Amino acid sequence: MSMEDYDFLFKIVLIGNAGVGKTCLVRRFTQGLFPPGQGATIGVDFMIKTVEINGEKVKLQIWDTAGQERFRSITQSYYRSANALILTYDITCEESFRCLPEWLREIEQYASNKVITVLVGNKIDLAERREVSQQRAEEFSEAQDMYYLETSAKESDNVEKLFLDLACRLISEARQNTLVNNVSSPLPGEGKSISYLTCCNFN
Amino acid sequence: MADGLPTEFDVVIIGTGLPESILAAACSRSGQRVLHIDSRSYYGGNWASFTFSGLLSWLKEYQQNSDIGDKSTATWQDLIHETEEAITLHRKDETIQHTEVFCYVRQDMDDNIEEIDDLQKNPSLVTSGTLSKLLDSACLSEEMHSLYGTSHGISAKEIPKNDGEILLEVTGIEESQVKEKYYGDKTCIHTFADGDKDENKPIVEDNTDLPKRNRITYSQLVKEGRKFNIDLVSKLLYSQGLLIDLLIKSNVSRYAEFKNVTRILTFREGKVEQVPCSRADVFNNKELTMVEKRMLMKFLTFCLDYEQHPDEYQDFTQCSFSEYLKTKKLTPNLQHFVLHSIAMTESSCTTIDGLKATKNFLQCLGRFGNTPFLFPLYGQGEIPQCFCRMCAVFGGIYCLRHKVQCLVVDKESGRCKAIIDHFGQRINAKYFIVEDSYLSEETCSNVQYKQISRAVLITDQSVLKTDSDQHISILIVPPAEPGMCAVRVTELCSSTMTCMKDTHLVHLTCSSSKTAREDLESVVKKLFTPYAETEIDREELTKPRLLWALYFNMRDSSGISRSSYSGLPSNVYVCSGPDCALGNEHAVKQAETLFQEIFPGEEFCPPPPNPEDIVFDGDDKQPEAPGTNNIIMAKLESSE
Ligand SMILES: Nc1nc2c(ncn2[C@@H]2O[C@H](COP(=O)(O)OP(=O)(O)O)[C@@H](O)[C@H]2O)c(=O)[nH]1
Ligand SMILES: [Mg+2]
Repeated sequence: MSMEDYDFLFKIVLIGNAGVGKTCLVRRFTQGLFPPGQGATIGVDFMIKTVEINGEKVKLQIWDTAGQERFRSITQSYYRSANALILTYDITCEESFRCLPEWLREIEQYASNKVITVLVGNKIDLAERREVSQQRAEEFSEAQDMYYLETSAKESDNVEKLFLDLACRLISEARQNTLVNNVSSPLPGEGKSISYLTCCNFN
Repeated sequence: MADGLPTEFDVVIIGTGLPESILAAACSRSGQRVLHIDSRSYYGGNWASFTFSGLLSWLKEYQQNSDIGDKSTATWQDLIHETEEAITLHRKDETIQHTEVFCYVRQDMDDNIEEIDDLQKNPSLVTSGTLSKLLDSACLSEEMHSLYGTSHGISAKEIPKNDGEILLEVTGIEESQVKEKYYGDKTCIHTFADGDKDENKPIVEDNTDLPKRNRITYSQLVKEGRKFNIDLVSKLLYSQGLLIDLLIKSNVSRYAEFKNVTRILTFREGKVEQVPCSRADVFNNKELTMVEKRMLMKFLTFCLDYEQHPDEYQDFTQCSFSEYLKTKKLTPNLQHFVLHSIAMTESSCTTIDGLKATKNFLQCLGRFGNTPFLFPLYGQGEIPQCFCRMCAVFGGIYCLRHKVQCLVVDKESGRCKAIIDHFGQRINAKYFIVEDSYLSEETCSNVQYKQISRAVLITDQSVLKTDSDQHISILIVPPAEPGMCAVRVTELCSSTMTCMKDTHLVHLTCSSSKTAREDLESVVKKLFTPYAETEIDREELTKPRLLWALYFNMRDSSGISRSSYSGLPSNVYVCSGPDCALGNEHAVKQAETLFQEIFPGEEFCPPPPNPEDIVFDGDDKQPEAPGTNNIIMAKLESSE
């Protein structure tokens, strides 16, 4: 299919502590795989998957951290112009849940005001090792005004739902924005990437 | 914190400025195992950009200028073997000097409270903005004291009560917060909020002097400044320059967005004017006569391929460009345009260099828009980070807040083989790339540094008002006296994400002869008027008002030759900090040169595989039955 063959394009960005399963979630959704072992795919910047929602083609551009979260060194530019953020923790790892406020501070500072954030508790296939109860996570996400979901990248539980729900929300958000066309405040993504800049020659 | 950090690499890079970051991307892209570290908590070193409060804490760091580290770091001396030597690295950053802050907007009680809130994230403090309530709360004022370390008490007695709307300036707080004055390398902070009045007495505003509705306050700058990015360097990208070419070639451009610089301005006879540079601009210009337009077009057309017409300039190769322009049948007006705003050279530059610069400008003009320059959204500070992302995507490991104590040199081979970090951890590599400011005094004892004078201003209007307040402009202010430097001014509008709505961010840059304020203040005064004075001086109202200003000198390590550094092993390479030039050519050239030196024959930043090629079409693979989407929709609606 050609590159322009879609109705919507959204940039989705994954964040959260190292080891919580971000890369696995992306690969499960885009490739249908659960890669054994850890590690990013060298040289892959983002993954793309086009889904159809109510007859409309939605192209999702899904960005992974490139491992920069490991020593808390994510670049600010990673957050720029993201339409949605998937903030992930590991339900079997208390520490990954306790770090969430720190992640929220980064989001608050670097991401657009309009960004949609989803909180994801991953690895529910390891229920016997759960350290973070569903209730705690629900309370936290409610207080922070986030949508919340538990997943298993391994068993493919709720992974499709996560991305498709997000796509639906993004579509309705995008529709609202075109209705309420607020020109006043500059939005991220308002600039142009180089290839889109038009040419006009001196001569 | 850094447990699990591998200890074997091919290349260790210390510093995340632009040249180091480009090198990191290039090395990682060519398959090297890269460790990229910075002792600071942010990317970019002196190429960084900050939010307004981030900039304030950056200032505070230089103000304290403390030599940190000895207590918490493991001693490296014990870790050096007999066959080894250590080259210590620097702990204190001396690249920034003479910082001075001037605040022209009011910092009233409300502002202070909000700022405390901002710094301490303690919303319970924002209960009320009225003074009496504030003073009733002893613990609050105590908290303010401890926060600002003030020695001045605030007591209710000192503050006259007034039934009208009271706007107060409590000097006890302000003084410690803003009025710190140090000398030498330390920060010097001034405030104008209370003018010449007695500093030890709180002052009650006259009702007649009440601020207007839409005034901008300090608290707004702090609060709304959270989303905006203020650069330490002021550079633009030439649209045909090396950096743009590299960004496009390596595909790093996909991490950044750019805006065109929309106007080239000039300052002549006390007036700011727009410089016509495209054909359309020239012909639409209302200031120029028809004859002038023809002259200018003729001259610019000649410059585009001046090499083809040597007879036009051959006799003038020994002259300065400005002398040459006088012979070219250009009115003084046009000479000024060409010299300062198109060639953007110093008056003393040679004819050939002037023609070259003019040609470069004209060539860049056509590529993306009406001027030859681009500005990255969110500031220049994004660019090093974009290259770092590329490095990480190819497996590079990133560690901010990671200090290095020393380089370990093998005595026999004379080569550096490892670094020892602040945990006492040894990290081995084959090549080491170090940014200049990390090197010790001993290593740099023979190095002579230049300085850059910088000013960062927040203003309330553009220096040249038009229908739109969303312009990005560059303005060269020629030197007032011969022998002095021209001052480069860039003015950014809010849509560049560098300043809040209804303000502009203005950068001034020149190479230093004195402190930044001494070098730049006269130009600031020509272009702007302090915020507070506007009530008094009606005439000055036409100028934009100055809300806040910062001056500092930044060390320029760009011209240093490798041989000036003493005792560095041959596999240790040095990158320099930002230079004074408008473009980024120096950084790109340096990165490419060092890369070729380390890995001869390797391709420098080739394009990565396109992620678009790894497309997984969902159409045939959706496990859920058709129609599920409606269910999802319904669920979403009910959950909202
Ligand atoms: N049991 C289980 N393991 C998972 C799941 N998702 C990821 N993992 C494992 O967790 C580890 C870290 O996953 P990864 O995707 O690399 O985490 P990232 O650092 O957040 O990208 C790997 O060993 C994965 O195999 C899951 O849903 N269930
Ligand atoms: Mg990962």
